[in-house]
Amino acid sequence: MLHYDEAKARLGVIFREVFDDESIEIFDAMTADDLDEWDSLSHITLVLAVEREFGLKLKAAEVGALANVGEMIKLLMERGSP
Amino acid sequence: MSLEGPNFDEIKAKLKAGDARNAFELLRRTLRPDDPFVTQARAARLYRSMARDGAELRPLKIALLAGSTVDHLADVLRLWLATVGFDAEIYVAPFDMVVQTVLDEASDLYAFKPDVVWLCTTHRDVPLEIAAGSDIAAVRAKVERAVQDKQRLWQVLLQRCNCLVVQNNADCPADDPFGNIAGAAPWGGRSALRLYNFELGAAALPGVAVFDLDHLASLYGKAQWFDSRYWFHSKHAFAPDATGLVAASLAQLVAAAKGLAKKCLVLDLDNTLWGGVIGDDGLEGIALGQKADGEAYVAFQAYARALKERGIVLAVCSKNDEAIAKEAFEHHPDMRLRLSDIAVFRANWNSKVENVRDIAATLSIGIDSLVFADDNPAERDIVRQFLPAVAVPELPDDPADYVRVLARYYAENAQRAELQLSFQDTADYLASLQMVAEIGAVDALNLPRLAQLINKSNQFHLTGTRYSEAELAAFATRPGYVIRNFRLRDRFGDNGLIAVVVLRVLDRDLVIDTWVMSCRVLARSMEEFICNEMLRVARERHCTSLVGLYKPTAKNKLVAGLYPRLGFEKVADTDGVSRWRRAVGPASSDLTTYARQLEMTTE
Repeated sequence: MLHYDEAKARLGVIFREVFDDESIEIFDAMTADDLDEWDSLSHITLVLAVEREFGLKLKAAEVGALANVGEMIKLLMERGSP
Repeated sequence: MSLEGPNFDEIKAKLKAGDARNAFELLRRTLRPDDPFVTQARAARLYRSMARDGAELRPLKIALLAGSTVDHLADVLRLWLATVGFDAEIYVAPFDMVVQTVLDEASDLYAFKPDVVWLCTTHRDVPLEIAAGSDIAAVRAKVERAVQDKQRLWQVLLQRCNCLVVQNNADCPADDPFGNIAGAAPWGGRSALRLYNFELGAAALPGVAVFDLDHLASLYGKAQWFDSRYWFHSKHAFAPDATGLVAASLAQLVAAAKGLAKKCLVLDLDNTLWGGVIGDDGLEGIALGQKADGEAYVAFQAYARALKERGIVLAVCSKNDEAIAKEAFEHHPDMRLRLSDIAVFRANWNSKVENVRDIAATLSIGIDSLVFADDNPAERDIVRQFLPAVAVPELPDDPADYVRVLARYYAENAQRAELQLSFQDTADYLASLQMVAEIGAVDALNLPRLAQLINKSNQFHLTGTRYSEAELAAFATRPGYVIRNFRLRDRFGDNGLIAVVVLRVLDRDLVIDTWVMSCRVLARSMEEFICNEMLRVARERHCTSLVGLYKPTAKNKLVAGLYPRLGFEKVADTDGVSRWRRAVGPASSDLTTYARQLEMTTE
């Protein structure tokens, strides 16, 4: 199982790359409302980047269900590859 | 996080340093079609942030109509179109509204005035619904109806806009409840879609290009191509990671259809056409034909030869002693290429930049229609640096992979030539181009372009005159001078300003002081169209003769026979300069042209 800090750090890198913004700092309660460019289209880019970085495949239902950063980190701690 | 492909930090550093051009070049060179979606999306995002001034990209309006989500694809497509020379504006029609959008004359599609309409459909948009056990006639009937449905849309599109229609064929699904039978029995799902794909290609009208989506799906791997998770979640028709492949292939097709295709392959010799160095290893010592790498070089030569058969011109550019280099072509038993296959052979010790320039000049083709294949990274680098318009693929270390890398550049090349073949005669072909020409005079806006065309044209330039912007502006104000410029649009898009004439009224003669035209539109009856306009001006100015001069220069042999072809008679020939005259008759005696005239815009 991945450690919370590691999952969060790697997820943070993905956010900064996908949204091309070095200033983004993620936090557990963060949702699309906190980031202008986080819409349904960029959400898919984000999820694909997560799948690639953590070597996992999300289920169809999970793709849309990961609405906030905390849930993402939780899932990555359980299923993400080191 | 490690990503394959472009080094984004390096590209960003160049951008920050204000070097947008090299940033774009680096991105173009290092992004590969099979890089994953995450990389494609990042690259597309970076491209969006680049200023495109000075990139010399041609504007292109492309409309995407799809029964699936194509917003991500559109983003990535814009970048890939840029890599082949287009600054694309993309319109994405409302989701799953393909037919409605095409049929509704008031839809945003037509207001957008697209140059290309991509009907980005998949097997899901081809509902054949053939019952198990149906007979062949029933299958054929259903397939025929499905093809006719598409054909009807093409006809409407071609009628309503001056555009290229790109129609996907069907990506035969990976899974079918009938298993093997689906592709074996005539009523099977795969069998029927294969027949549909065949009939779709056969039904393609002029102005319609079928995009072989099924081939891309196979290339990518069908089992991976169909990613049902993203279909169910967001209606993505194929795996997100195939986005680059699809976008890059479509860009190639569009480039070919718009005449930006690669026409010539420039080949190095040592370690490109054979293994080893012929000057050192000798005829017997080079790797060719024997062992695995020798066979790979033979296969690569066979591929180059096949390209030649298809109309791609081959050239050799090698640092070698010419006699030794040619020996391999003449005497090596395993050479697939012969000297007669090579249009221009440059084996010497000059710089490759110089040789490549010389090859383009010898063949009278644009430098941007060359692909330069060389195993030596230093040579590739210098050609990229000095001749950025030349396509320089990264040749892989292993010659076994050469064909795969080069195939990308020539995938769609034969398109326009094939289009030409499908017509019965030239008149038929020219009529199908739907050419619309616009005649204009000089104004402040077009003056720089007029001067540029006069000063840069060499081949289609009857008198070799050169005029500055100031001189042209001065002519425009003098009563004895008439300047006309010509713009041309056709079904493939806007060719822009393609010709200029400077005319002088001298008594009852209208003298063609200068006539330049872009060679891109040669032999499409624009010469006749322009001549008719000059005759019209002559009538207006009460001239009885139109007089043309031909002053031979080093490069204008192309137009030596122009005046006689247009019905002029030679009246004088002094010091190599010939003078030609055509009587000015009534409009009914004008020449035949296939370009329709748009009304005059400026006077």
